[in-house]
Amino acid sequence: MQRDPIGPLLLGLMRPLQIGAQATVAKLKEIQHRYGTFRGLASENERLRGRITELEAERNRLLEVEATSLRLRDLLELRSQLPAGSVTAAVIGNSASTWFHSFVLDKGSADGVLKGMAVVSLVGVVGQVVAVTSRSAKVLLMTDPHSGVDVIVQRSRARGIVSGSLDSAPILKYAKRSEDIQEGDRLITSGLDGIFPKGLLVGTITKVRKKTFGLFQYVEVALAVDPSRIEEVLVVSPEIIQPKK
Amino acid sequence: MKLSLLFLLAGFLVVLLQTTFLHLLPLGPIVPDLILVLCVYWGLNHPTVGAVLGSFLLGYSVDVFSSPVLGLNAFAMSLVFLAVYLSSRCIWIHNPLLSAAVVFLASWIKGAALIMVGTLFLAVDGLWMGVLKYIFLEALIAAMLAPAVFSLLRRGQSYLEEVRMPL
Repeated sequence: MQRDPIGPLLLGLMRPLQIGAQATVAKLKEIQHRYGTFRGLASENERLRGRITELEAERNRLLEVEATSLRLRDLLELRSQLPAGSVTAAVIGNSASTWFHSFVLDKGSADGVLKGMAVVSLVGVVGQVVAVTSRSAKVLLMTDPHSGVDVIVQRSRARGIVSGSLDSAPILKYAKRSEDIQEGDRLITSGLDGIFPKGLLVGTITKVRKKTFGLFQYVEVALAVDPSRIEEVLVVSPEIIQPKK
Repeated sequence: MKLSLLFLLAGFLVVLLQTTFLHLLPLGPIVPDLILVLCVYWGLNHPTVGAVLGSFLLGYSVDVFSSPVLGLNAFAMSLVFLAVYLSSRCIWIHNPLLSAAVVFLASWIKGAALIMVGTLFLAVDGLWMGVLKYIFLEALIAAMLAPAVFSLLRRGQSYLEEVRMPL
C-alpha cells in the first residue's frame, strides 16, 4: 500500500460515498424486502380474509345447526312428555293466499300423520291437520277464520272457543257476559274438543269489551305462537288425549 | 306446444314463489297474488280452453296449499278468467297501466267471489267485514306487480315465437 499512494486516496475518497451508497442500497433493500413482505402480507391478508369468511360461514352454519338441534331437543322433550304416537315435522311451505292461514308439513300418512291431528309447538297450539297425502300434510293455523280451539281461561276457568279472524286479532268466541275474563289472562286448551291435549298454552287475552246488550262478551287474544316463525312442529295423535277404554 | 310448456312452467313457478319466497317480503299477512296476475294475463292474451283449465288448476292449487275447502279458489280464479276474457272482448287492453288496472279489478272480483262463497256455504262469522282492507292491499300489490309479470311473460312468449319462426 505504501508503494501506491493513489489507492489509499481513492479508498479514502470513496469511503464516505460507499458508505452513503451502501446505506442507500441497504435502505432500498429494506424497502424491497418490506415491499416483498407487504405483498406477501397482502396476499396473506387476502387469504386470511377468505378464511375468516369461510369460518364465519361455518360458524353461522354451526350456530344454525345448534339452534335447530336445540329446538328439536326441546321438541323431543315435549314429545317424551306425551304418550307415543306424536310425530315431529318440519314446515316446508306456506299459504298461497292472503285469505287462508295454513302451512304444509314434510310428513304425511306414511309417517303416521292423519287428518284431524293436533299440531303443537314448544310454545303452544299451532293448528290442526286438515288434509294429508302420503308425504305431506296441510295444517290449518289457529289464525285462520275457519279454525276453532276449545279453551279455558287459566285463572277463572271460563270457557270459549278461540278462532282466527281476518279483520282483527284472533277472538275468543262464546265467552258469556257473566264470565270473569280480564286482560292478561292466559288461555289454555280444555281438551274437550278431542283434538288438542289439555293444558297447552293458546295465548293471552289482550282486549275485553262488554256491550250493553248480547249474550257474549268480545274478547281478543294474542296467540302464544307466531305461525310465521315456526320451523318445526309436533303432530299429536288424537289417541293421546282420548285414552283407550 | 312450447307456449303451453312456458305457461305450465310459469304456473309452477308462481305457485312455488307464492308458497315460499314471497312470504319473506315484509308485507305482513298479505301474499302477493302472482297466480291472479297469471290468470289475468291468460284471460287477456290467451283466451283458450287450455287457459281456462290452467286458471282453474291454479285456483285449485291455492286450495290445495291453503284453503280448508277445495274448490273455493278454483271457482274464484275461473270467474276472474271469465270476467277478464269478457272485458278483453270489449276493451283493447295492452297498455301496462291498463293491464295493472285490470289486475286491480280482477283482484276485487276474486275477493267478492270468495266472500260470496264463504258467506253462503261456509258460514264464517264476519268474514266480509274485515276483508275489504285485505282485498284493497292485495289488489294494489298485484296491480303493482302486474306490468313486470306481463312483460316477462310477453318476452318469453316472443322468444318462443322467434325460435319457431325459422321452422
